[in-house]
Amino acid sequence: MIETITLSPNVTLRCCRDPRFKQGCLSFQLVRPMAAEEAAKNALLPAVLLRGTNAHPNLRAITNRLDELYGAAVSPLVRRVGDYQTVGLFCGFMDDRFALPGDTVLAPMMTFLEELLLDSPLENGGFLPAFVESEKRNLIATIESELNDKRAYAMSKLLKIMCREDTFGLPRLGEKEQVAAIRPKELYDHYRHILRIAPIEIFYVGSAESSTVAALLKPLLSKLDREPVALPAQSGFHPCEGREEVETMEVSQGKLCLGFTTPITNRDKRFPAMQVLNAIYGAGMTSKLFMNVREKLSLCYSVGSGYYGSKGIVTVAAGIDFDKEAETRAEILRQLDACKQGEISMEELTAAKEAILSSLRATHDAPGSIEGFYATAALSGLGMTTAEYMAAVETVTLEQVIAAANTVQLHTTYFLRGGSQ
Amino acid sequence: MKPIYYPELDETLFRTVLPNGLTVAVVKREGFTKKLAYFVTDFGSIHTDFTLEGQEHHAPAGVAHYLEHKLFDMPGDRDVSAEFAAMGAMTNAFTSYDMTAYYFSCTENFENCLKLLLEFVSTPYFTEESVEKERGIIDQEIGMNEDAPDSVVFEKLMQSLYQTHPIRVPILGTSETIREITPEVLHTCHRAFYTPGNMLLCVIGDVDPEQVTAMAREILGDEKKEVGKKMRPWQEEMTSQRAETQCAMEVAMPMFNLAFKAEPVGSGDEAIRQEMIADLAAEALFGESSELYLRLYEEGLIDSSFGGGFETIDGCAMLMCSGDSNDPAAVREAILSQAEKIAAAGLEESAFLRLKRSALGRRIRGLDSFDATCFRVSAYHFSGFDYFRFPEIYRSIRPAEIREFLSRVVTRRRCALSVVRPIV
Repeated sequence: MIETITLSPNVTLRCCRDPRFKQGCLSFQLVRPMAAEEAAKNALLPAVLLRGTNAHPNLRAITNRLDELYGAAVSPLVRRVGDYQTVGLFCGFMDDRFALPGDTVLAPMMTFLEELLLDSPLENGGFLPAFVESEKRNLIATIESELNDKRAYAMSKLLKIMCREDTFGLPRLGEKEQVAAIRPKELYDHYRHILRIAPIEIFYVGSAESSTVAALLKPLLSKLDREPVALPAQSGFHPCEGREEVETMEVSQGKLCLGFTTPITNRDKRFPAMQVLNAIYGAGMTSKLFMNVREKLSLCYSVGSGYYGSKGIVTVAAGIDFDKEAETRAEILRQLDACKQGEISMEELTAAKEAILSSLRATHDAPGSIEGFYATAALSGLGMTTAEYMAAVETVTLEQVIAAANTVQLHTTYFLRGGSQ
Repeated sequence: MKPIYYPELDETLFRTVLPNGLTVAVVKREGFTKKLAYFVTDFGSIHTDFTLEGQEHHAPAGVAHYLEHKLFDMPGDRDVSAEFAAMGAMTNAFTSYDMTAYYFSCTENFENCLKLLLEFVSTPYFTEESVEKERGIIDQEIGMNEDAPDSVVFEKLMQSLYQTHPIRVPILGTSETIREITPEVLHTCHRAFYTPGNMLLCVIGDVDPEQVTAMAREILGDEKKEVGKKMRPWQEEMTSQRAETQCAMEVAMPMFNLAFKAEPVGSGDEAIRQEMIADLAAEALFGESSELYLRLYEEGLIDSSFGGGFETIDGCAMLMCSGDSNDPAAVREAILSQAEKIAAAGLEESAFLRLKRSALGRRIRGLDSFDATCFRVSAYHFSGFDYFRFPEIYRSIRPAEIREFLSRVVTRRRCALSVVRPIV
């Protein structure tokens, strides 16, 4: 189903040929280690590339070109995949069969992608200062606006505290002080550097054959001067002492976040069992957390858990009244304990597996979800197709789930509450 | 059931109306694993006033959403979500201003999932105790929205823009109004608006349309029941009630919603045309390919969070934009003067064609999303329009219509600005 082609050393094209869709997607990612020194620069890069090229010198010219390509979209891509940060562009475009007679979209789209990546206007050996400065402001605003979504804000605070010794504690977009310090020439030099050494991952999903896509990418790749450097392997959680932190802010609802660790990552054969445990414990409307913390005790509207398989971290977040903290926390831990003690019914086990299987089955039904799965799976160390993954989930036993639960340990808690104290 | 094929979109639609009045629409997607079903009622948060069986009813604000929560309860302590989960399906629901939708997605057990969906939505079961318990959960949901600046900025905008239309009240109601909701109120609303004649069943996926229809008849029966008659006493002048509103919250940068009041579009082909004209006008005025967007972006007055379009809700319509800006009032002024400029000079033919091509292409791409397609087919159905006919509507639009729309709607007296600024 997925064809993997090595176009040159450390340049990988993965293709999912599928004629059912009305659009195609292509992602172009440079893979870097997540590091404080460059996270902000990487996060800034795609936004600067999308500001203009020599032939299409401003946003308006770029959008006009995309409008001509039947409303195609190119968006910045900055992802965290375990210890890695990927940076690049994501293109979504209408399938050729809907274009006007004799017209195509894929081929001119690839030409335009090359232009965006390699034909930026320069000044004094760097990107245009006007582009860089305005995108720095935007990126800083984006970083600051994390505050607007209290749930996301609280979760990122939890991870920052819990992962102070780990790359996972570094914010995906860098720190705003780092963004502010970036200079146009330094950014361009960094870009040329990573274009030369970073592994490149290209993912395509759509109706074209892989050989066609490879041929269309050739002009772009031939212009790169490559000396690729392989990346260090992904690693598990880097331990530090746990903490309990409380922050106050002008909010009417509290956010309680708990962070747990587990030695099980997605490189571990126990991974499917851990995934099933997470579903039983806190993912979705039939999980123990939802059924008890919300439905039975009415302690909150939102509650759920998440499992970061690339790192071996489980998190729980709940939106609650300020005075319900102790009660909610106790119930969240009690439900985990229930899992550890094996208080899991066959219905819960089946429902959890079915939920995972169903979402894996449906992965192949949308171009975006295909790209989302495969463009990150291999990088994070999950060496399975959806079919292999499903087979592994199906064979998970109750004992394996209980064993997985018993590896989970509370590490850090963070509570965002209202009022001033 | 005869299929209609839309060659421009490569879509096949089966549609029929059952004896009980239910419309069934099946979007056939061969070769896909996922199946998605929406069971939707033409009843949303704004429909609190209605007559049924000759009697007038005035339900508390938030009733549609409360009802949505409570329909998941079934007699005999059955847990609907758990039953879907056991079949590997995901279920959920949402309430908007003018409709409420219940849906599931699955990859297997489609038949049983569909049965369960039809069954639980058509089975009202409310006890004093369970209705009481839900109040705590919904109150938390209301609290969550009060902390969400994007909800607050929008709700304050609606209160500024409208005088009487119930869009002034949040979909969830308030902590006060939900206190008045009782099992009786929920039963009355269910009887009035959850009758098949007021509903649509929309399914997308590789399913058998005949089987879907047969199941709907089996579960819902053939009897045609009275549908509640909505009272719409909303008289709106085409002027905003208040030009500007502000409040302070924990945000990093001022956040704004800006809207221009437009005439409600009604229903049918002409309504959809109006909507698509307005969408194109929004693109021409402040879309990413517009002269204005570039200028405001380069001047740092807007950033990539900026966006907008035309919104239509039963009884009201508006051209809206939103984003973060350190000077929202300057954004408003720039939009007003740019609209005047386009209204005076008109649109270049080539720019207009490019906008249309782009809008069409984006809508075609959007069809890959099961959820977006189900949502659009449903929403347009209640507006009396077959969504898959959008290409022909686009073709019929002329540049002069964009110009006319902008000069009529984008004016100071129809405008309201809502700003949430950071706490200092």
